[in-house]
Amino acid sequence: MSAVDPILSVKDLSVEFPTEDGVVKAVRGVSFEVRPRDVLGIVGESGCGKSVTSMAIMGLLPSSANVTGSIRFRDQELVGIKRKAMRAIRGKKIAMVFQDPMTAMNPVYRVGWQLAEAVRAHEDLNSKQARARSIELLDTVGIPQAASRVDNYPHEFSGGMRQRAMIAMAIANNPDVLIADEPTTALDVTVQAQILEMLIKLKDNLNAAIILITHDLGVVAGITDRMLVMYAGKVVETGTADDIFYHPRMPYSIGLLGSLPSHSGTQGRLKPIGGAPPSMLNLPAGCPFSPRCPLADNTCETVEPPQVEISEGHVSACHHVDALNAMPEPLKLFEGARK
Amino acid sequence: MLSFIIRRILVSIPLLFLASIVAFILVINTGDPLEDLRTKQPPTPAATIALREHQLGLDKPPVERYVSWLTKAIHGDFGKTIKNQPVWDEVSRALGVTLRLVLFAEILSVLIGVTIGVISAVKQYSWFDYTATTGAFLLYSLPVLAVGSFLKYVLAIRLNRWIGRADDPLIKTIGEGTPNFCTPSKPYNCGFIPATTDFLSHALLPTLTLVLISFAGYARFSRASMLETLNADYVRTARSKGLSERRVILKHAFRNALMTVVTVISLDFGALIGGAILTETIFEWHGMGRVLVESITKIDPNLLLCWFFVTAVAVIAFNLIADILYAFLDPRIRLD
Repeated sequence: MSAVDPILSVKDLSVEFPTEDGVVKAVRGVSFEVRPRDVLGIVGESGCGKSVTSMAIMGLLPSSANVTGSIRFRDQELVGIKRKAMRAIRGKKIAMVFQDPMTAMNPVYRVGWQLAEAVRAHEDLNSKQARARSIELLDTVGIPQAASRVDNYPHEFSGGMRQRAMIAMAIANNPDVLIADEPTTALDVTVQAQILEMLIKLKDNLNAAIILITHDLGVVAGITDRMLVMYAGKVVETGTADDIFYHPRMPYSIGLLGSLPSHSGTQGRLKPIGGAPPSMLNLPAGCPFSPRCPLADNTCETVEPPQVEISEGHVSACHHVDALNAMPEPLKLFEGARK
Repeated sequence: MLSFIIRRILVSIPLLFLASIVAFILVINTGDPLEDLRTKQPPTPAATIALREHQLGLDKPPVERYVSWLTKAIHGDFGKTIKNQPVWDEVSRALGVTLRLVLFAEILSVLIGVTIGVISAVKQYSWFDYTATTGAFLLYSLPVLAVGSFLKYVLAIRLNRWIGRADDPLIKTIGEGTPNFCTPSKPYNCGFIPATTDFLSHALLPTLTLVLISFAGYARFSRASMLETLNADYVRTARSKGLSERRVILKHAFRNALMTVVTVISLDFGALIGGAILTETIFEWHGMGRVLVESITKIDPNLLLCWFFVTAVAVIAFNLIADILYAFLDPRIRLD
């Protein structure tokens, strides 16, 4: 494949949470790799395990979580790493941008203070230098009049500006991997595009890899190199953006694409996937998507589908890849299912 | 900020005025201050009663009585008690006694309560949390009367007897100080050390009583407040920066939890100026609580009015302090 070594490789990652009702298997054997300047999109509905995956990489899961498998950052294994060693990586090598910029910043401290804190956590700067760096960072993410805005409190920023400031905080130490967990979900549509554009630009300047987590396929379209479709804690399909958008071979991916509003105007109404994701406490024996899948048969309900390689790098976990291949228009799979 | 404070002080003037009217209506309906005199056997001469009525202003219509009380009160004259003592002297003395009790107790309760609450929240569901939460819940639900009496009768008096100091108790169970402790005839008692020792031996039990029942409330309150901020998104952000856990907890979670805790504490403080009635009664401290009880039982209108006035001022003042502290701690609150 690529000549460059992966900067982060996740192998067979599983995360379980013991609860009073039983063990919640939030992530079940997820594997992927990212290289510098890669943009990896992880998509799936709420609760499919995409955020837990990112928190596992950040080492921010509660101590009750049981993490198995491997997360390698360069040559370092992050699963089971000492807390102090993880602290040196977190925010420095791997940084994160969170979903809701309204609540992700501490309301009682000035934006510049919070930026400076991120810098000073990993670099020995005096407060003057840290302040200069904060202004520089705000400027980088396109905050106008950064030199005066640095003294504002978060509530004095608009939503888009706060998310810019959050990104500034994440790139404060020139990280190698930037995880963006639904970075645009809480923002206006017009602002969304600006933020995404900025992320991509930053990635190129920093030579960093981006893991973009979203439930919105519209967000990842056009900017990701590779995509991971997750369902019930598993990767159900992975491939290039083109593979997933034009040749999806897993009914869940097809369903997600059908749920995407189209502005062509010819398709009429949206085609949502019926039903809801299964409870992570009580997963079906076979394919987790089988209860909602129009192609589901006995095998689907009892046997977990294997990972089938369709073309190089395009892998789907479905018993019916052949059937989908044979269909003239697999993207219309869900239309027949609706009455 | 300054303009807000001035504005708030100006607003408190009509508020106090309103409070004084309500207090006055309540007080004049408490009963007849001269009832003892009227029901005396053999009967008091009508002229004497009329004279007393005139002295206390009872012969005038309520509105006139109120206006005359208010004009004097504005000039700092709160009138005389029915025993013909200046009311202000009595109230300021009682205020001093109450402050000595309440100030220490409150500071201790806050320090202990908030510390326990924060540790409980950080170590949620640990043995410490279970013990502290259960203990706080138990103490929180106990009546003052039970805690105070237990400390006094079951612990202190027995302890004093056991160490053979029943006559000159080590832990004083009555009063805010030894009567006539420091007089010209006993100059050796007037130094800092004997005076402090005397105060501490008297203050120990009532302070402990107040601390035991009120620290629990602060512990529960700060625990809840901390649990909320520990789960806040900005705390997750702080962790994602790679900050130490200590910094995350103190600078981010606790700093935000402090806002609500501080508000509750300052409001509580205002209310305590009115006196810890039950604690003062159990340990026979002659503070504001006792003033209230005595002025009601003896139907002493001027004393009662003055008590109301001081309490109202304290409540209003601490409300203002709570607002200022809140604005100071939360930049989202703009006071101007």
